Amino acid sequence: MATIVDIAIDNPGFETLVAAVKAADLVETLQGHGPFTVFAPNDDAFAKLPPNTVNNLVQNPPQLARILAYHVVAGRWTSAQLADTSELISLEGSPIPIRCHSPLEVKNASVIAADIEASNGIVHVIDTVILMG
Amino acid sequence: MSTSLPPSTHPHADVIHRLEAGGSMLPDTPENLMQIIGIYKAYAVPMDFYWRDLLYIGERVFLQPLPFFKYFLSKKYLDRHNTYSGDRSSLRIWRGRGEAHPELTEFIDQGASGRRWPRLLHHLGHDRINMEFAEACMRSMFWHEDINPKFNAYLYTEEYKTAADKAIKAYFKGNIAMLGLYKLFPEMFLEQVRQASYYANLGLFWEVMAPVFFEMSDIYDEGGFKGVPDAMDFLVNGIFAVAGRPIYHHVYVGDECFAIIPKSAGFTWLYEAALPYVEAIFYRTTPFRGTKSYDAQLNQVPRDQADFHYGILYADVFPVGSAGIPPTLLMHDMLRFLPPYLEDYYQQHCRGEDDQLIQLGITFQRSMYNVTSAVIQALRAALYYPLDDPNPEHLLANRQFFEQQMDRLTRPEARLRDIQVSDYR
Amino acid sequence: MMLTLLIGLPLLGALAILLFPATKAKLVALWGAGIPLLWNIWLFSQFDLGNSSFQWGESAAWLPVLGLNYELGIDGLGLLMVALNTLLTWIAIYSARPDVERPRLFYSLMLMTSSVISGAFLAQNFLLFFLFYEACLIPLYLLINIWGGERRSYAATKFLIYTAISGALILVGGFGLLWLGGAEDFSYAALAETNLSLQWQVLLLVPFAIGFGIKVPMVPLHTWLPDTYVAASTPVAIMLGGVLAKLGTYGLLRFGFSLLPDGWAVIAPWIAIWAAMTIIYCAFLAIVQRDIKRMVAYSSVSHMGYVLLGTAAGNDLSLSGCIAQMVAHGLVLAILFNLVGLIEAKVGSRELDQLNGLMNPVRGLPFVSATLLLGAMSSAGIPGLVSFAAEFAVFQGSYRVFPWQALVGIVGTGLTAVYFVILLNRTCFGRLDNQRAYFPKVSFNEKAPALVLVIVIIALGVQPNWLFRWSEPTAIQAIEIVPGTQTVTLEDMGDLLLGDASSATPLLD
Repeated sequence: MATIVDIAIDNPGFETLVAAVKAADLVETLQGHGPFTVFAPNDDAFAKLPPNTVNNLVQNPPQLARILAYHVVAGRWTSAQLADTSELISLEGSPIPIRCHSPLEVKNASVIAADIEASNGIVHVIDTVILMG
Repeated sequence: MSTSLPPSTHPHADVIHRLEAGGSMLPDTPENLMQIIGIYKAYAVPMDFYWRDLLYIGERVFLQPLPFFKYFLSKKYLDRHNTYSGDRSSLRIWRGRGEAHPELTEFIDQGASGRRWPRLLHHLGHDRINMEFAEACMRSMFWHEDINPKFNAYLYTEEYKTAADKAIKAYFKGNIAMLGLYKLFPEMFLEQVRQASYYANLGLFWEVMAPVFFEMSDIYDEGGFKGVPDAMDFLVNGIFAVAGRPIYHHVYVGDECFAIIPKSAGFTWLYEAALPYVEAIFYRTTPFRGTKSYDAQLNQVPRDQADFHYGILYADVFPVGSAGIPPTLLMHDMLRFLPPYLEDYYQQHCRGEDDQLIQLGITFQRSMYNVTSAVIQALRAALYYPLDDPNPEHLLANRQFFEQQMDRLTRPEARLRDIQVSDYR
Repeated sequence: MMLTLLIGLPLLGALAILLFPATKAKLVALWGAGIPLLWNIWLFSQFDLGNSSFQWGESAAWLPVLGLNYELGIDGLGLLMVALNTLLTWIAIYSARPDVERPRLFYSLMLMTSSVISGAFLAQNFLLFFLFYEACLIPLYLLINIWGGERRSYAATKFLIYTAISGALILVGGFGLLWLGGAEDFSYAALAETNLSLQWQVLLLVPFAIGFGIKVPMVPLHTWLPDTYVAASTPVAIMLGGVLAKLGTYGLLRFGFSLLPDGWAVIAPWIAIWAAMTIIYCAFLAIVQRDIKRMVAYSSVSHMGYVLLGTAAGNDLSLSGCIAQMVAHGLVLAILFNLVGLIEAKVGSRELDQLNGLMNPVRGLPFVSATLLLGAMSSAGIPGLVSFAAEFAVFQGSYRVFPWQALVGIVGTGLTAVYFVILLNRTCFGRLDNQRAYFPKVSFNEKAPALVLVIVIIALGVQPNWLFRWSEPTAIQAIEIVPGTQTVTLEDMGDLLLGDASSATPLLD
């Protein structure tokens, strides 16, 4: 089965995310054992951010990596499991609130495609880049 | 507009409704717009000095035991290029120049008196930028350590200590007395390094704000802003644009660079500088000596640091003028760089030139309510939902967020009510 | 002519105002007050210090049948009083609000008041004095009744009734002197030659003491004063407290002390007790006031008690002190009323509960606060300011004669500090209230009167001799008439008072 990174690369609509993961030097990490749960913002989600925000982050990989790490949670959390949870701790260290269970909303993002299985985890596609705080 | 939500019952409901409509806490009037833009311009010039000097102190003066000349900014730092402004910037976001603003360099040369005296005389005659204000802000951020947990925790890691140790040893190389002291009291030196890290932190924060304010003034002069919300939106965009800027602390001993907090530590402008700054300076700070007497035994000073409320959003600007009070120092700085239209405006009100200092202080208070509004709107956009979200539950979450923010401004000292009327000046 | 000018010039000014348009009224009035002031300053340079009798006498027959002649003359006491009058007239006119209603009438009446008061100080004929004494009621009544504040007509009427009674009593005293003493007319010289028995002297002192006691005023005859001072506008209050009150003590000195010396020696201890009571009682009243103008008014009464104490003691030191205190009191009261008026005009309140933080350097009234502080310090007898020398001389002189009364009076000085600390602490210090602190700017023109007074207060405080030298011959001459008075204390006082014997020596000349 494909890794999380492969899924992102193979599917259309994740070009920005893939570029960001590469820029942040996180490819290897996300190909590792895991398992991880990744909330993957699609291209539309990144497009909502002002252009300079992304440009600036791409120029600063450690900072970009931190934002991306906020989208990753240790363990394999299916949407069914998420329905019983109100908060997850991201790899960045900050909590991710699960604000609504049906439809599933992660912080201020809505999950538009849930439970995409990968060899080292699970991917949920979200429509907004989520930020700490 | 939240047509689907019933009106708020919050004491500041009018302000909340304005925020929900995409407005600012400051009412949208041409007079307010003129005032805040004028004061941003007056603030930007000294701020252009503050950030340069803060970085200079953090990076070069560092642990100088007798830093008599820490305010004597070197040519190198005056010419240092802003990271996001000027033609040498790798990511130019603002259109201003990279080096120090011409009004600032002129002021450093001649002072307000217009005399080209040696700099030491300008310094002693207080004909200079009041860096003490910037340092008071830095200390406030340093002291309210709970508001910046990640950054603060890093200051106590082994990594940090090792890097600091290297820098200290290099800085005092050959200075047996200081090295001996370091051996005896390592924590004392480390604490000084931590403070220097906050110098760098605040310097990097203001490096961004100075060109933002300059550009706002330019846009206004060109007739660009239509109202207060436009000015606020410009700030919101600015906040987002540089949110991911690294916050770091480099120390230079000779040509050698010691990365005490490397960029790879992942600290960002928004989380480790901007938000803590707003909390520490706009809301909390510390009760300034001289403005009022406080009796801690009568609980006039809150037991909990988080309840401090001495920032500009609460400040009583009237006692300005007593010596040595940091806000007065800032107002004194801004007084020298007021745009002509603001000077005229102050001439027409209250006591004209005699109380310009207070009038501009209150304008500054208005302008900082607008900046705080920008921060609130930015946080709303980052953590909550668009204002035109069709989902009423999302709108309710926005409402709750705004109400939560306004709760902090319900205490009697808050000036939110005052700035709603133009008579408060 | 030299002295007639002092009366005539302000009167001419009062008439001149009527010829000019209303907008020029204040300017003309300032000239009308300024020229007599300059003339007065010139008179100082011409005054013969060695001569203890009246100088520059003028005499013209008027109604010889009644014993009324136009007789003028001046001695050290009169010179100082007229100087105080001309200076405070100028200050009072300068202090008037620029937007005063019916300005031509207002300034005319002010100058007429000044002219008439000068006349009273210069008169050498009892009946002439009495005419001036009564005449000043008319312009003052109008000034209070037309331009006063709240309850002005009540205050004006009360003022009129009290002072009319005062006038009637004094007239009784004066006629008593003439008839019982068998003097040929009312001139002071004639009256001084009468030789009344002790009983008659004491009896005649009663109407004089009560009549002038109302004017000073003394407890319990003072009740008209707070109402009147508070109702009067600032310039009128300055004239009332600064100058008019001095007519009372002046009259006691001239007619009681000088003309009835034996009787005075008998009642002096009682006068001293009366003075001490006034000092203490009004000081306590001042402490409990909530209205700062009223507080200053009571303070004024309390401090007039010192003058009376000095008069009662009747030695050269206490008399010099009491004359100096009359001047000091006028200066201090004028500055205090001027500043209280400024505070009221700018802040819109005189209530202690509402005033706060005026010392604030930018939004408060820092100049007003600072000068108020100085005025209060002077009033409380802080060394280096004019009242110190005067009060010190009064106490030093009267302690020899009436130790207990003098000690009570000294306690009054302490109480002065108490109520002025209350006043200053509430009005000047503390935090300025944001809701109220949009006071208009104090212009230089508004500061000028206080500034002039500050200069005079400090100058005479640092060099009290400039004040004492004029009244010195008068004081010495006066005591020679009165039996049982002492002339010992001046030399002791020199060092104590000034710490510098050289500057004190002219006192002894």
